[in-house]
Amino acid sequence: MVGLDRGSRRAFRRALFLLGGGALVVALLLALPEPRPVAAQSSDVARQAQAQAWDEDAPGPKQPIPFSHALHAGTYQIECLYCHTGTDRSPMAGVPSVESCMGCHSQFGADLEGVQILQQYWQEKKPIPWLQIHRLPEHVQFPHHRHVNAGLECQTCHGPVQEMHKLYLTPDTKWWPWLTPARKLEMGWCISCHRENEVTQDCFACHY
Amino acid sequence: MAEIDRREFLKLVGASAGAAAAAGCSEPVEKLIPYVVQPEEITPGLPVYYASTCRECPAGCGLLVKTREGRPIKLEGNPEHPVNRGALCARGQAAIGRTYHPDRHPGPLRRTGEGSFEAIGWDEAIALLAEQVKQAGSGTWFLSGDPGPTASRWIDRWLAAVGAGGRVVHEPFAPEALRQAASEVFGAAGEPRFDLTDADLVIDFGSDFLETGPSPVAHARQFAASRDVAEGEGRKARFVYVGPRLSMTASNADEWVAGKPGAAGALALAVARAAVDAGAGSAAVREALAGLLGNFAPERVAAQTGVEAETIQRLGRAVARARHAVALPPGPALTGRRARATAAAVLLLNAVSGSVGRGVRVSPAGAGRRASYRETLALIDAMKSGRVKLLLIGDGNPVYSLPTATGFAGALEKVPFVVSFASLADETSARADLILPDHTPLESWGDVVSAPGARSMVQPTLRPLHDTRALVDTLLDTGRALGPAVAARLPSGSFRTLLEQAWSDADWREAVARGGRFEPAPATETVSLAPGAGRIEVAEPLLEGEGDWTLLAVPSPWLYDGRGANLPWLQETPDPVTKIAWQSWAEVSHATAERLGLELGDVVAVETPTGTLEVSVYPRGGIRDDVVAIPIGQGHTVGYWASAAESGRPGEPRGANVLDVLPAATDESGGRAWLAARATLRKTGAHRRLALVQTSQNQRGRLLGEAVPLAALAAGDGHAAEHGGEHDESHGNGHGDAHHELLKPFDASKDADPDSSYRWGMAIDLDRCTGCSACVVACHVENNIPLVGERRSLEGRQMSWLRIERWIGEGSLKGGRTLPVAADPDEAPGVVDVRHAPQLCQHCGAAPCESVCPVLATYHNPEGMNAMIYNRCVGTRYCSNNCPYKVRRFNYYDYSRENWPGLLGLMLNPDVTVRVQGVMEKCTFCTQRVSAARHAATLEGRTIRDGEVTTACAQACPTQAIAFGNLRDEKSRVVEKSHAPARSYHALHELNTRPAITYLAQVKRGRVGEEG
Repeated sequence: MVGLDRGSRRAFRRALFLLGGGALVVALLLALPEPRPVAAQSSDVARQAQAQAWDEDAPGPKQPIPFSHALHAGTYQIECLYCHTGTDRSPMAGVPSVESCMGCHSQFGADLEGVQILQQYWQEKKPIPWLQIHRLPEHVQFPHHRHVNAGLECQTCHGPVQEMHKLYLTPDTKWWPWLTPARKLEMGWCISCHRENEVTQDCFACHY
Repeated sequence: MAEIDRREFLKLVGASAGAAAAAGCSEPVEKLIPYVVQPEEITPGLPVYYASTCRECPAGCGLLVKTREGRPIKLEGNPEHPVNRGALCARGQAAIGRTYHPDRHPGPLRRTGEGSFEAIGWDEAIALLAEQVKQAGSGTWFLSGDPGPTASRWIDRWLAAVGAGGRVVHEPFAPEALRQAASEVFGAAGEPRFDLTDADLVIDFGSDFLETGPSPVAHARQFAASRDVAEGEGRKARFVYVGPRLSMTASNADEWVAGKPGAAGALALAVARAAVDAGAGSAAVREALAGLLGNFAPERVAAQTGVEAETIQRLGRAVARARHAVALPPGPALTGRRARATAAAVLLLNAVSGSVGRGVRVSPAGAGRRASYRETLALIDAMKSGRVKLLLIGDGNPVYSLPTATGFAGALEKVPFVVSFASLADETSARADLILPDHTPLESWGDVVSAPGARSMVQPTLRPLHDTRALVDTLLDTGRALGPAVAARLPSGSFRTLLEQAWSDADWREAVARGGRFEPAPATETVSLAPGAGRIEVAEPLLEGEGDWTLLAVPSPWLYDGRGANLPWLQETPDPVTKIAWQSWAEVSHATAERLGLELGDVVAVETPTGTLEVSVYPRGGIRDDVVAIPIGQGHTVGYWASAAESGRPGEPRGANVLDVLPAATDESGGRAWLAARATLRKTGAHRRLALVQTSQNQRGRLLGEAVPLAALAAGDGHAAEHGGEHDESHGNGHGDAHHELLKPFDASKDADPDSSYRWGMAIDLDRCTGCSACVVACHVENNIPLVGERRSLEGRQMSWLRIERWIGEGSLKGGRTLPVAADPDEAPGVVDVRHAPQLCQHCGAAPCESVCPVLATYHNPEGMNAMIYNRCVGTRYCSNNCPYKVRRFNYYDYSRENWPGLLGLMLNPDVTVRVQGVMEKCTFCTQRVSAARHAATLEGRTIRDGEVTTACAQACPTQAIAFGNLRDEKSRVVEKSHAPARSYHALHELNTRPAITYLAQVKRGRVGEEG
């Protein structure tokens, strides 16, 4: 990991990006019978999803942007790791950078309120202050990459996010709430899974 | 309630308490802040390392800066760097704190009155400076340490462009006398460099090369290599220390010759004479020195130096017999008014022993300006006479580091306008009219010449945290503001582009990636004795004052010349010799203490012609009766940790500054003389308790710091001999044979889950441990260990997980149980028997702490580690009571809130929990590093390889005294090191705790010149 070859790596990535982008444009031109205007109207599905993401009555805190996981991960079937990159390589699950969001949303969705807020953050070069839903205490070390590579679905801990417009800490879906041995993301809940899968139950694996 | 059992009751109580909590409050909402643009090399959660160079001392060791999410969190040695080869000393480890320091200047500041400043913008600041430069013209002077070759060149160019007076380099410990001596003795201008790797006899006349010498990490590595007993008979160098005080370096010697202060020159020549008499030296050298050595017959010298003629002759014979004897000249503490002649005498001894050109080389003087005390004094005179109109002060803190007697602070007031470029507030910047803060080294570009052939690169590892600007850029902008005439003489780019130009002969990208360009040292010219070499004038030192004691101002191993005082990790680490933290003290001999009726901690007034200093005494054996030694570095009046500000008394000094009572003396050629005064000691009647982290140096015959004689080692029965009858008798502990029977052999690799691939363990070689405490500071930084400060240290509340215990000899039960230490075994001139033993959690297979924890917060994990689970701990402290090694630490205070003021919290290791009040903590064998390695290995479907993971302490160690690894891997380095039947032992073995740490006993090589 030694080394700082930012310049050349960045240039290389840019070149790749441009090449890929060029190929994509060519492919689109070939695939589409006639070109469409770029700033198309967003679908009603997207509009509704946005409204539901800011639904006052739904559980969970109001996020700074009406971002709907159900729309992105559910309707559009975007892989979790597409935005949360590095989760398979690093203990930490990345929150996508504003630039990542703009990677798509500079192309479409500009008529949606949520995307407009996003664009404002981007123009001001400010990060989006998301509110954390899934939080472990500081004395817990949770290696995301180990769990992702072990084949666990993100939904096992994070709930059915592909169905949720507004995110909140869902109860465990495997149990009826009153039969749940421990609340989700509590230690007993972790341990029960580790027990079932016969993996480490050493305290030192997570607490140090 | 009869129906409800205890368990049921607790459940009910818990349920109702939980309900109350749920109703009463909700969890605080935390925010997830993403990057706006995520840098490509950063994956959150994974470290990125950048190569850079340490700027704490002139040695210029290579760094790998470990960053997480763009923040440096730990400094490690660069394994590719030829100077330090992956190790890093205590000062280097602590240097990371400068960047996040609460003392940092937030941006440009203009003085508005006594001690008050107002923030201004950079444009205004530069306009102000330009105006001052225009007015001052040739009255402009620049004073700093060595800013590195490229920065130096451009500062000089700038000074020429604006028509300034000139530049003066002030480096307090620069070996000026040695450089002068080299040109006197060899006729070659250059810097003598010493290499101990192949030496078989080292005679140190007080250079203290393991602590504050020219390159402590490199010298420690070479020293350990020269003495490695595992490498066969030929690698057992002997080490004699000649000097008035048993320093940390001296405590690693085989023999201590307690010569009078200032006697090094005469002693070196007398040893040379004895060596010549015993047949040493080439014909040419003998002839050249015949006249000189004729005056230094051992018998004559013995009388004036306090060393017996027999000792001198024995050393001379040893030099003659040695294949490769290297002698090192005195360091700052013993640099007197005859320093040039003294250093020349030591170089002549090297000429006699034949090591010139081998272990002693004179590398050609590099280009650029050298540190010069004579020029510094001339500058002070110019300041006093009003010829200096504008003084620019780069790095360094001359108000503190120059002797108070030079009157620098007063001279500064005569300068109409003073500009400081200091990034951290200090005594000098507090007196400036304008502060234009530079970046800290971790935020800067730069370069350093570390050693011949080693050009090192300094690269920024984070965006500047404050509104600071690189010094050269500030100067260039000021030059441009002075108008087109000046601007035309200056380059157009920034310092970064100038640096790239300066490195145009090297591959820039590779140099940045590797931390510099490292080539084999260029072949040095063979030097021979100059015609005048035999005419040096060695004489008694000249000392001011009439007192009975010679005052030694000793460079502090941690605080160096005082620059380390603002780093709390260095303050918190106890001095290796006295084990005092956070304070100043005066070392006197027991005889002196008795004569004056002084006890440990009694305040004594040290009077010299220059002034008086009041400081607590530390009576010890390892110092001559006619000497009082005070460490340099404390007594600052500015700084959160350097002064008493942290304890709520800003502006008041903590400890005493010995430079206040030193005369402004110089040697023959104008170099700085530190050994220059006699002192009178007077009992004041006051008592100030010393923060002794270790109160006894008597190990009472317990198995903590073991030693075996070399002879027994050669016979192959070293340890057996030590544990045999002789050992038990010397203990006098009454156990006799029963004691011996208790030592049950065991296999530490068995103490883990049978299915586990690992049993983590450690081997610590006491023969390699020098007491340098790099491991202690590395552990502090790696594991977010709180810093407790002076008051808590006095209460015995130190939190360090790893300490270095200092034992003197085997000890005996007859020694004092508590203070005064006078009753403890003590150092004495002759054969040195000081044992530095790192003490940390032993990760016992049968740990006494585990069985007494009522909540199972500490237990043996499947990989053989003694785990400590903070969130289970309820703070009963039973474990600590039951731990025979006393390595568990309790959070009596909420350090997590108090301990990291300002931005300091940014340097916490995110992989290690910050402990809260009321929990126990201790060494975890850096389990976060083991976890990271395990994640990587498991994802690749393999087990952790040997060498893939190491602890912070093992990594920092300059002598590789510590090896960490898997005891179940028979090929691992730790198993290989532990397997030394003649030397290996376990601390407090008789308790049958089955420790995972194997110690290797120190080897006692005996008196020099008496071996077979």
